[in-house]
Amino acid sequence: MHIQRITAIFEKDLKDFMKNMMLLTLPLIPVVLALLYTRMGEGNEAFPVFLLYIIVGTTYSAVTSSSMMTMMAEENEKKTLRGLIQSPATMMDVIIGKSLVTGLITFIALAVSLVIVDIEPFLNFRVILGLILLFLFFLLLGIGIGLFTKSIAATSVYLMPVMFLFGFTPMFEMLGLNEDSIALKVADALPIMQAIEIHHTTSWIPLGIIAVWVVGAALSMYVCFKKTMTDE
Amino acid sequence: MAYFKIDNDIADSEYLPAFSLTIDDSWITSLYSDTDMQAELAKILQSNGKISVFDFQDGLYKRLTVEDNITFYHKWFGFDTPIPEILVLFELHTCAKTPLHKCSESEIRRVYFARYYMSGMNPMVFREPIHGVDIKTINTFIHMIEKIKNNNVPVLVLVSNMEHALLLGEMAYKLQEKGIRKIETDEEEEQTAAENSTPTVTTNLFKVPAKVDDKMILFDPLEIDYIESQDGKAMIVIEDQSYALDFTLGEVEKKLEIYGFYRCHRSYIVNLQKVREIITWSKNTYSLRIDNKSQSTIPLSRNKIQDIQEKFSLK
Repeated sequence: MHIQRITAIFEKDLKDFMKNMMLLTLPLIPVVLALLYTRMGEGNEAFPVFLLYIIVGTTYSAVTSSSMMTMMAEENEKKTLRGLIQSPATMMDVIIGKSLVTGLITFIALAVSLVIVDIEPFLNFRVILGLILLFLFFLLLGIGIGLFTKSIAATSVYLMPVMFLFGFTPMFEMLGLNEDSIALKVADALPIMQAIEIHHTTSWIPLGIIAVWVVGAALSMYVCFKKTMTDE
Repeated sequence: MAYFKIDNDIADSEYLPAFSLTIDDSWITSLYSDTDMQAELAKILQSNGKISVFDFQDGLYKRLTVEDNITFYHKWFGFDTPIPEILVLFELHTCAKTPLHKCSESEIRRVYFARYYMSGMNPMVFREPIHGVDIKTINTFIHMIEKIKNNNVPVLVLVSNMEHALLLGEMAYKLQEKGIRKIETDEEEEQTAAENSTPTVTTNLFKVPAKVDDKMILFDPLEIDYIESQDGKAMIVIEDQSYALDFTLGEVEKKLEIYGFYRCHRSYIVNLQKVREIITWSKNTYSLRIDNKSQSTIPLSRNKIQDIQEKFSLK
């Protein structure tokens, strides 16, 4: 790890982010969504937790995973990293630098949209820990996909399953499926549903399940990383 | 003294002849070959020799400004020289705040130069570095490779243009199917040609005969742009088309002298009527710009500059 390289990538990507319309519109999605939901609400009635988590899921899938993927795919597509990457360690510097940019943007988008709706239920240690784990999960997923996508156009294909499966899980409840159906049982084990579960119990099991998801995402990212580093 | 060597272990390919070339840091080496061979050589240097070839194919950050790009590479490679100095060195200070996608081809090329310069690679291999760029950029490049040489880093420039090979390389080589050969750059055996220059009486009617396939084409001396030597044979060049002659350059020189032709370099004869400009490069080298469609430049030997200036001021 090389601090100077990480800051170089961080500064470069932050500047680039501000000039890239495609990336710049991403953080607006959850904010607009939050504004819409507040207009729909019945005045002082509290927000249902699952609605809040639709916003959280949107932020993480549309901002975190998506911008990470896009940034990495753009480097791959334009071959900008050729000649800069000599070893897996330097690639790691690039990934860390980009993750910091993504983290910063995600934090701003998430904070703004949650303040707009209702930040009260989130001011709790276990919930915040859950949010951080969720962030890591979506970030690692984005890195893994970003490593092997060769073009920006391809990212939208990969983004779809991430968004619908992991980002919009709370919506599965609204599909009107049978309570006992397997689809719902599987959906209940997905990370966002477990994060909702944190609000309903005092047990640490949901956090544990999310942690398992994070480890899973980390492993898949590691496999992608090894594969791309040996390819070249 | 640092050097690196290209030999059969590295250059093992069916498209390339067997050759061995040592590039050391006391001369800038240029290697002339056709584009196919050059591509093959660049490929094997990268895969077998683990040498990165700077071919200007890797991307820059198009949305960012010139200065942001330089700042990034400067920080990434941990380069010592301050950024403003780099900008001035590569003549980028005037467009520092322009986003790259609005920059000209030449300006972008200079950003590449700066990036490669800061990369601190050893050795440095460039591929077609000055193809299609303006004079200012060529001068920056000459400056840069001079600087790299002074840091004791070997420099190799791959080009597919003989003029560029002679302009950039202090030691120029030519790579062909037959193998590698050094191109004599300057001076030396000028005398041999000068000795037996018995003035030949020429009739007023004189045409230059050149062979194209089976046909014999007769050219009016005044339409010729310049004549270059390739493998001992003279080739006349007219509007970027070249035609082989049956004479050597020395013989042609004698015949064409009275039509205002001048031997400006060991392997070039130029039609002085067509010279538009004498370009002075930064390290005391010169080129002549020809007034044709592609504005080609041909090298002018250092010891001929006096001579040619006299010729023009007399007229």
